[in-house]
Amino acid sequence: MLFLQLLLQGLQTGALYALTAAGFALIFGATRIFHFAHGATFAIAGYVFLYFWNAGQPWPGALAAIAAAVVFGLGMERFVYRPIQRHEGSFFTVFVAAFGVAVVVQNLIGMIAGRGFASVDTPLSMANEVLPDVFLAPIFWIAIAVAIVLFVALSAFLTRTHAGVGLRALAQNPDLLRAYGLSSNRLSMLAFALGSAMAAPAAILTAMTTGLNEAVGHHVMLISMAATIVGGVGSLRGAALAGLMLGVAESVALQFVDTQWAEGVSFLVLFAFIIFRPSGIFGVAQTR
Amino acid sequence: MTTEVLRTENLSRSFGGVQAVAGVSLTLHAGAVTALVGPNGAGKTTTFNLITGNLRADSGTAAIRGKPIMGLKPWQVARLGVARSFQDLRLFTHMTVRENVLAATETASWFWQPGGSTARRAREARADAALEATGLSALARARAIDLAYAERKFLSMARILAAEADIWLLDEPASGLDLASRTRFGQLLKDAQARGVAICLIEHNLDVVVELSNRIAFLDQGKVLAEGDPDAILKDPALAAIYFGDRPQEAA
Amino acid sequence: MIAYAANLATIVAIFAILAATLNFIVGYAGIFSVAHAVFFGLGAYAGAQVALLLIPDPLLACLAGAVVAGGLSLCLALPALRVRGEYFVAASMGLQMMAVTLFSEAKPLTGGIGGLVNIPRPTLFGVEVSVLPLALVALALILLATALLQRGAFGRTLQALRDAESAAEALGKNVAAAKTLAMAFACAGAGIGGALFALHLSFVNVESFTMDQSVLVMAMVIIGGTGTLWGPLVGAIILLSLPSGLAFIPFIPPTEVGAVQQIVYGLAMTLLMIFRPAGLVGDLSKGRATA
Repeated sequence: MLFLQLLLQGLQTGALYALTAAGFALIFGATRIFHFAHGATFAIAGYVFLYFWNAGQPWPGALAAIAAAVVFGLGMERFVYRPIQRHEGSFFTVFVAAFGVAVVVQNLIGMIAGRGFASVDTPLSMANEVLPDVFLAPIFWIAIAVAIVLFVALSAFLTRTHAGVGLRALAQNPDLLRAYGLSSNRLSMLAFALGSAMAAPAAILTAMTTGLNEAVGHHVMLISMAATIVGGVGSLRGAALAGLMLGVAESVALQFVDTQWAEGVSFLVLFAFIIFRPSGIFGVAQTR
Repeated sequence: MTTEVLRTENLSRSFGGVQAVAGVSLTLHAGAVTALVGPNGAGKTTTFNLITGNLRADSGTAAIRGKPIMGLKPWQVARLGVARSFQDLRLFTHMTVRENVLAATETASWFWQPGGSTARRAREARADAALEATGLSALARARAIDLAYAERKFLSMARILAAEADIWLLDEPASGLDLASRTRFGQLLKDAQARGVAICLIEHNLDVVVELSNRIAFLDQGKVLAEGDPDAILKDPALAAIYFGDRPQEAA
Repeated sequence: MIAYAANLATIVAIFAILAATLNFIVGYAGIFSVAHAVFFGLGAYAGAQVALLLIPDPLLACLAGAVVAGGLSLCLALPALRVRGEYFVAASMGLQMMAVTLFSEAKPLTGGIGGLVNIPRPTLFGVEVSVLPLALVALALILLATALLQRGAFGRTLQALRDAESAAEALGKNVAAAKTLAMAFACAGAGIGGALFALHLSFVNVESFTMDQSVLVMAMVIIGGTGTLWGPLVGAIILLSLPSGLAFIPFIPPTEVGAVQQIVYGLAMTLLMIFRPAGLVGDLSKGRATA
């Protein structure tokens, strides 16, 4: 039953990974910007929620977390990436600039909110025995439901709406956009807003389960990058699936190794993919 | 004819069901210029990539002076005396013109090159000679990325000159050049030819082809449709129809 | 005061070694590693173990550090041969996070979280020596070596494969060998820095080899200017003087100096990339890493 327990726990973690990674993949796929500060978005959203929760305002807190994530993502697009892309825009410059912001955010959070783990206490994360020796907290169902609802909504948006289709065309065929009368600047902002918003629910749920610390951004980035690469760059579905897979793999591995190695599992999966199949599960070979 | 240096037999390669190269057999001779001619997508660049090891062939063989080269890595093929240019040039953009050419003379991947300072001076002399021949000496200290279009094309040729290869695979080296530059480019090829370099040239401009080449291989849909004397090939109305695209489009 | 200055100078020299070697792969080969602290750590543990188990000979410790770090650089060379740009950053970041776990768990080798303590003072030919002169000599040698390599054929090879890998290969350059070699050189240099670090502090633990440390070294390279000889040195001096500079500002509580320092250089990295992407020393016309 331990296996089933770990599998279910893995699904919960994986659902959150999938949301975060899909946000990152959405931004990367549409704008080709390697948004290294996506982990910072996650951390900001999580800590904003914590702040409101401690003030006894969970629902406004959730809204504020989403708003903070979107504002931060848009700010990055407008004030960091766009000026850089205007004059050069090599991967190197974009990455370092985002990296610098991630460092600033991590330390500001440490200074303001204190260092070390912080989480919220809620009956939602109290586990009940649902099967003999299998414990599930209500939050498990919430995580799964949120993930499913958001993915259905996102894919409907991307396939059914004018802007969604434009978003998908942004990376592949900028000329097409002009023909449709869509502005690539607007779409790029849309990608950042949506992608950042996707990180907020995951951050809130993480605050309610495993908790946050100021360096959570690193972990989130590693997972997002790993899922994007393993899933195949450019494939949202791939990133989400890979995120789910990584969560399950990390959790199931606990049957064999101690918790501190869980992250190592994601790393090994990433490493294996980079060496043997850099194009990822759904990707077309395009590296080197 | 003169010595045969490179021969491919039945080279084939498909990409996801599309047969890009379907059994290309080609022979290059020392001191001869062979032009690969054919409509876009005929498989010309893919043929180059199969020879240089940038792509693996599904089947077929290729050999340089009798030595099989299938399965070799690009740098191993290069060290057998093959130099190639790319349609998109692929210059070392952030290095100076002279560094670009010097880099072409240094093949050892170890911390230093063999032969000490004597060999180094010889390499520098070779690089400077290549710059001289391509008319780039005055720009030696400019960065590649700052060059004008024609200068970039000549820099790409200077790298090949300096590499001292005896088989040149040139992918549209003359496209976009003005008349004066084209004449200078032609002279480069003629000099190389006189030294016994075997040259294979992808070229769309038929005037250039007629002026420079000894032989033409006409490719279409991955196959060599005809091979031989330039005049004969270019006068063939059937090939001209394919080349200028007025055949019925059976597979658009 | 002299002891304070000597300590700071030693630390600056060691970090300048790290920055110079990282610059070698970032600025010239375009290999963007965020795992340099891993090799710093490997060198530190190897050097410390040599001093603890055999003799506190700094030369032997440096050799051990260089061999272990240089040898294990293959872990990073492998992905560098397969992928570049974003993909490689992901791989190196994963390696960095994995290595911290390994360092914390491999107690027999690293002493776990507690680290290795009571590392004996270094002695050279029976005489106790301070690490400062050793670090300065090591730094001078590494700067000389990088300068020679960067200006010579090897540096050209690295820049060539950075700018156009396929063209470099088409000119007969064994790209895989050159990358592996560059990586081994840079990581071995970081290992030497690590061994000196362990001997200097006579105590090492995993805290010094985390992601944050990799970021710090990266910041030194970037703020100084990638692809320049003196940039990393300038970067190391600036960033390491920062905490003592900040200590004079009254309204920053002492416990927050570390965080403020990181905020300052994080901000500096971002602003530099927006306004002056070549760094402080670099001139805008040369040696940009375009991965």
